[in-house]
Amino acid sequence: MLAWRSLFSGGVFATKLSFVGLGNYRDALSQGGTQALQVTGIFTVGFVVLTMGFGLAIALLLDVKLPGVRHLRAPFIIPLVVPSVATALIWGNLFAPDFGIVNRVLSAFGLPQGDFTSSPSLALLTVLTFSVWQFFGECVILYLAALKTVPLDLVEAASVDGAGPWRRFRYVRLPLLRRHTVLIWVITTLTGLQTFNQIFVLTNGGPNGSTTTALFYIFTQGFVQFNTGLADAMGVILFLVSLCIVVVQVGYFGRGARRDV
Amino acid sequence: MFRSRFWSRALIYSLLAVAVLIVVFPLVYMLGTAVKPNYQIVNLRASLWPVQFEWGNFLRAWNSAPFGRWYINTLIFSIGATLGQIGSSLLAGYAFAMFDFPGKRVLFYCLIAGLMVPFSTVIVPVVQILADLHWLNTYQGLIVPNIASALGAFLLRQFYLGMPYELGEAARIDGASEWKVFSRVYAPLATPIIAALAIISFLLNWNNFLFPLIVINTTSMEVLSQGLSVFQDQFAVNYDLLMSAASIVIIPILVVAVAAQRRIVEGITLGAIQGA
Repeated sequence: MLAWRSLFSGGVFATKLSFVGLGNYRDALSQGGTQALQVTGIFTVGFVVLTMGFGLAIALLLDVKLPGVRHLRAPFIIPLVVPSVATALIWGNLFAPDFGIVNRVLSAFGLPQGDFTSSPSLALLTVLTFSVWQFFGECVILYLAALKTVPLDLVEAASVDGAGPWRRFRYVRLPLLRRHTVLIWVITTLTGLQTFNQIFVLTNGGPNGSTTTALFYIFTQGFVQFNTGLADAMGVILFLVSLCIVVVQVGYFGRGARRDV
Repeated sequence: MFRSRFWSRALIYSLLAVAVLIVVFPLVYMLGTAVKPNYQIVNLRASLWPVQFEWGNFLRAWNSAPFGRWYINTLIFSIGATLGQIGSSLLAGYAFAMFDFPGKRVLFYCLIAGLMVPFSTVIVPVVQILADLHWLNTYQGLIVPNIASALGAFLLRQFYLGMPYELGEAARIDGASEWKVFSRVYAPLATPIIAALAIISFLLNWNNFLFPLIVINTTSMEVLSQGLSVFQDQFAVNYDLLMSAASIVIIPILVVAVAAQRRIVEGITLGAIQGA
């Protein structure tokens, strides 16, 4: 139905549709759609790298058997489970001009203040920072569970052979985590592609579309400006892009992982 | 040896402390700001820690918008959608694992495709269907499109593949109907998985924002997240009220989440680690 509707023009609730062929795709791409796809790409890459990087690092720290460390797992779940609209409000305050904490800290160090949500160069970074804060706990939990599947005797054997912590991680644990890493990669990528609430509250897609991702584009075209055809066309594009990415991730990297193990 | 061990431990603890602080700080800031008078929030010379407590902020925020109604709406939506997801996943997962029927492979591939494709990309046609049914601004419009869960069905299929078929056979020989075999024998076996799935689905539905935002446009039918974003537009510079409102929305669900912490961790890892 989505693919079919993308070939017509008319409002969401219009009953008479006129056939425009691939015109919607052309219009979607020329009217901000290309920028939206670029923003989505940049955002998703940054999001995946940062959440997975922090997630793995924190999970490794939490996996260390030291007294009390077990109880430190809980805080990382908090940002995941509370409504992101509410936490986005808080971050909007932290990043506020003048009185926001971030700007106060910057001034305290004698650095220039930033206009974090309304300058085109900073807005995406602001949304990215918040999104990483909101989601990286999931990577922590997933990597923690994955680390439990690594057989301890292998790590000990490497230790006996004289491998330090870095080499034990790089050559023993990381390769064994490969299957899990592919899955976590898929999950974070799909989450990154679907970021919406954060953008809606913090920047509303602006300034100048610098934080309008593909999904946000679908929302504005479909339900604010009522260019349903454009929204549907972008829906098809996002659908195909997501599918291709996941197929490549699972098919190519996933298969390699299975051969390794 | 002892010294280097001490320092590496100190390093681990301090890194973790910094990480926990980063995670928790915004919430502490929210609570601190919620009880400050507004003029102190924007005053650059005032301390970050509240010196003058305005507990009335919570009451003012609560009275400025129908939070009670929003809570009820969110509860109805989350519970309805979660029950639907659990029920449909149980039935579908059971059927995929236990029965042979024509078209099973094709249907299963559709399920897998549903796992990989974000629901939000098809949101426009879904809303068009709801509009045709005159279901916009209704509970069924919120709940019905959300009662299927590809992940839940997939996980329960995996679970039931590992269950012995003989269990149901024994019940059948004792004269149990097909429905009884499912409801009395197999469904109860899945209780731990269902519990983990249920809490995760509930939280996801509770925090769902985009879908209600599009389906609902009357204040009395809004859910919490949506209401809060409208509240933000109305009280844009009343930072005290904004933070009080955020607290009203965050604290109850936070309490639930802390209580159900272990199930949440199970639910998050269920899909990824079992699927791997």
